[in-house]
Amino acid sequence: MSPPLAGKLALVTGGGRGIGKAIALKLASQGADIIVNFFRHRETAEETAKDIEALGVKASVIRANVGNPAKIDEMFDIINRDFGRLDILINNAASGVGRPVMDVTVKAWDWTMDINAKAALLCAQRASKLMEGRGGKIISISSLGSSFVLPTYTVVGVSKAALEALTRYLAIELAPKNICVNTVAASAVETEALKFYIKEQLMPDTRQATPVGRMVIPEDIANVVAFLCSEEASMIRGQTVIVDGGTSIAPFVIPSKEKD
Amino acid sequence: MSVEEQVKDIVAKIVHVDKGVITREGTFKDIKADSLDIVQALVAVEDAFDIEIPDEEAQKFQSFGDFISYVEKQVTEKEKA
Repeated sequence: MSPPLAGKLALVTGGGRGIGKAIALKLASQGADIIVNFFRHRETAEETAKDIEALGVKASVIRANVGNPAKIDEMFDIINRDFGRLDILINNAASGVGRPVMDVTVKAWDWTMDINAKAALLCAQRASKLMEGRGGKIISISSLGSSFVLPTYTVVGVSKAALEALTRYLAIELAPKNICVNTVAASAVETEALKFYIKEQLMPDTRQATPVGRMVIPEDIANVVAFLCSEEASMIRGQTVIVDGGTSIAPFVIPSKEKD
Repeated sequence: MSVEEQVKDIVAKIVHVDKGVITREGTFKDIKADSLDIVQALVAVEDAFDIEIPDEEAQKFQSFGDFISYVEKQVTEKEKA
């Protein structure tokens, strides 16, 4: 039996490291060829591409700052020229400026919104054209900051709320084209980005604090993304699936510790 | 205009400082640039010269001098190619 995503082509924005890398590897393990988009870290993206190829599928890397609409166009022009199609788009690339509300500047707002929200719209517009006639999947990565207040997370939280609202509009408008659109929202995930947040004291170190007793890891997110990319999930539309080990529904639960 | 002058122009515009305060010995910290200023300056310089400055390289820069030298090297290599 061929793997579930055999013959599919997936673009993972910010696919070189962290959650994006885990998603890229998971989709590759299910047979999809992967385009890894990266911006600031070429070496890690190329290493990820090698890891993907080791799973027996094709991998390519495209550098693009998704915060710049012209660069998004260039990226999709390359995909159109080289492949002429796309089956899966993962809007994972994200950035942000950690500041309290009153310290948010126009520059910080624009930078964060451009990368986390506007890019998802522009990528979805271009990707859906490459899915024409066959359908496809568009999955975005959000965080609990869209619905809950996290310290200094202001603009990122707002951008993720925009992303989740966009997911609903895309899901309905693209439903007739058989394009399935959803979002996966994570609590703090053990990545380089989280380590940076903690190091800069932008976030308390709650790395053990889920009711499950362990952190959410990138693979937890990747597993749900892979499910949403499967035909079994095709009646889930425009939803935000929360992957947080129960954190968001149990604010007063004392985090359990793993038994030694 | 030399590469050095162009880099200084771009940095000054993004960080909103007078170009004169940017010296080869100076750092982003000296001109009170925050992390967003730095990444935006890197991106603007990349776009201006059509080169790539990965974070792995940028993190090695100890001063604007290192930054400018890296850009000069990339531009020279690009012209050769």
